[in-house]
Amino acid sequence: MLFRDRDRLDLPHLETLFRASAISRRDLVFRLLPRGLFTLLSLPILQSCMRSEPSSEAFVAKVPRYGADIRSAILSGFRELGVRSDEIKGKTILLKPNLVETRVDAPHINTHPGVIRAAIEAFRNLGASRIIVAEGSGHCRDTLRLLEETGIMDVLAEDRIPFVDLNHDDIYTVPNAGGHSRLKTLTLPLTLQKVDWIVSMAKLKTHHWAGVTLSMKNLFGLMPGSCYGWPKNILHHAGIEDCILDINATVRPHFAIVDGIVGMEGDGPIMGSPKEAGVIVMGRNLPAVDATCTRIMGIDPKRVHYLADSSGRLGAIREENIRQRGEPLSSVRTPFALIDKIPAQKKLLSP
Amino acid sequence: MDKAINEIWKSSLPGGGFANRPGGQYRPDATAWAIIALQLCGVEGQRLHFARQRLAASQLEDGRVVLSADQPGSFWPTPLAAMAWHKSPEFTHSESRAASFLLKMTGNHFKRTAASPAGHDTAIKGWPWTEDTHSWVEPTSLAMIALRVTGCGGDKRIAEGVRLLLDRQLSRGGWNYGNTTVFGTELAALPESTGLALAALPGLADKRDVSRSIARLKDTIKTLTTPFSLGWAILGLSAWGERPRDANALIDRCLKRQDRYGAYDTSLIGLMIVARKAEGGLIHAFS
Repeated sequence: MLFRDRDRLDLPHLETLFRASAISRRDLVFRLLPRGLFTLLSLPILQSCMRSEPSSEAFVAKVPRYGADIRSAILSGFRELGVRSDEIKGKTILLKPNLVETRVDAPHINTHPGVIRAAIEAFRNLGASRIIVAEGSGHCRDTLRLLEETGIMDVLAEDRIPFVDLNHDDIYTVPNAGGHSRLKTLTLPLTLQKVDWIVSMAKLKTHHWAGVTLSMKNLFGLMPGSCYGWPKNILHHAGIEDCILDINATVRPHFAIVDGIVGMEGDGPIMGSPKEAGVIVMGRNLPAVDATCTRIMGIDPKRVHYLADSSGRLGAIREENIRQRGEPLSSVRTPFALIDKIPAQKKLLSP
Repeated sequence: MDKAINEIWKSSLPGGGFANRPGGQYRPDATAWAIIALQLCGVEGQRLHFARQRLAASQLEDGRVVLSADQPGSFWPTPLAAMAWHKSPEFTHSESRAASFLLKMTGNHFKRTAASPAGHDTAIKGWPWTEDTHSWVEPTSLAMIALRVTGCGGDKRIAEGVRLLLDRQLSRGGWNYGNTTVFGTELAALPESTGLALAALPGLADKRDVSRSIARLKDTIKTLTTPFSLGWAILGLSAWGERPRDANALIDRCLKRQDRYGAYDTSLIGLMIVARKAEGGLIHAFS
């Protein structure tokens, strides 16, 4: 659906305009603005254009293959983004990879163990006292099998890193700070209260419901299946894109590292084809990281509804507001195939 | 098994019931698995009675057993609780209320349209994980097993559950969480879902109708090392008289792998014990 329900409109900047002007809102709405224009203004793309954005940064590293020195690439990103030892020393870091399911012929479904190992080493290098890997997989209920078959268990065992299955963690409930979906509260795993930094370690992929799945969508995996089901149907019914915004607004993750060395194009997030993009994308602001990722994939971030909606609310998505560190986007742009029979991807195609 | 039983007791709570981990919050699913497993090992006594009582305290008026009081829609532990109360005369009423709830509860269902991205028949009624959501393979299988155990196997809901499971079976055999094809592409089978569906179907479906799934699971089980997939794979095959000859060795090896994976949750240890003891399948273990 291109147009959203009127009862879910969120137009804070129009409110500001009304208050600042001498004409009343009633006059403006019922006498001056044609109904069609009012509907047009409800488009996330236009709303995002009207909201001011904070400036942000994203770092792009070229990493041609998983055997390359990924740790150094991540450490370079930390330097460029101002992530220093005094910020990380003594902290507990939660790394949240994207683990969906395993197929022998499809290692590109999940965050690669080499990227997770590199992140562990990089955070240790900055003095992190404890690192936890945690995931609540969306539909495969055997998370240990996912860890084993992806090779991540080898990394955890060798580096003595604890793993938490967020689907079965103890829980706590907080008000939904986003207010985009109808959910009044969100129930979260207790582990989130025990860590200092939450790092979304996503995969660069297309998605058949959300268009793309990157660091923001990856946080669906924080939501316990014990409360939200498998797949996380309550979130689907409440609106996937709205829930992406709600989870990000409520959890407020600290950092993102996106594995785009080999991503997925076409019928993602499971059945698509591998796509070698040869990049790691990082940053403190998840909308900025994801907007950078979409530009690498050849997709306008303003066409991704949840990214457009996050603009100004959760961060920056406009190119002029994202200071690009590391490799210039032009040198890494790798258009990802989209499938026009999939509605969520069709809307991403340029007109 | 003694070691596994001791590990389960480590998660018992002073107020009755079990957590998933020592020192954790009360969990009805962990409590139910602990009761079922301990009962199959011949353990009885006051602690088990208190655990059943704690489980009964999680039951709402309509019979559902919920994850926690502030999560009334998360009723998926209900079939596990019904099985945990079975064979305990003091809790017959709780068991029967749970069964009544399951017979009334259904997922969201709708007529499949030509434009639907999903390949399965979305109108067939089964059971969801949580309220107001669609029916999926695992909660449907668990509800069917519990209803059969509690004496409701002849209900029309069971027959419709069979239809749902057979409709969701993948063309190459096996089940995943509940989709067959999405946007025209068939999804991959998951051993845990396949095991659960097979555990629910003996005596209700012709073996020929599930032979591809049995064959596929027999092939996959050799590669399984983790408790959830292995436990349900063994229970699924056992239900059809296809229990692997080395099942007990596989279970013992899996329990030892806690050296690698860390201590298993109470539910997983419970599942391992049940898979070890229920040589004729889960339903048969209650008869």
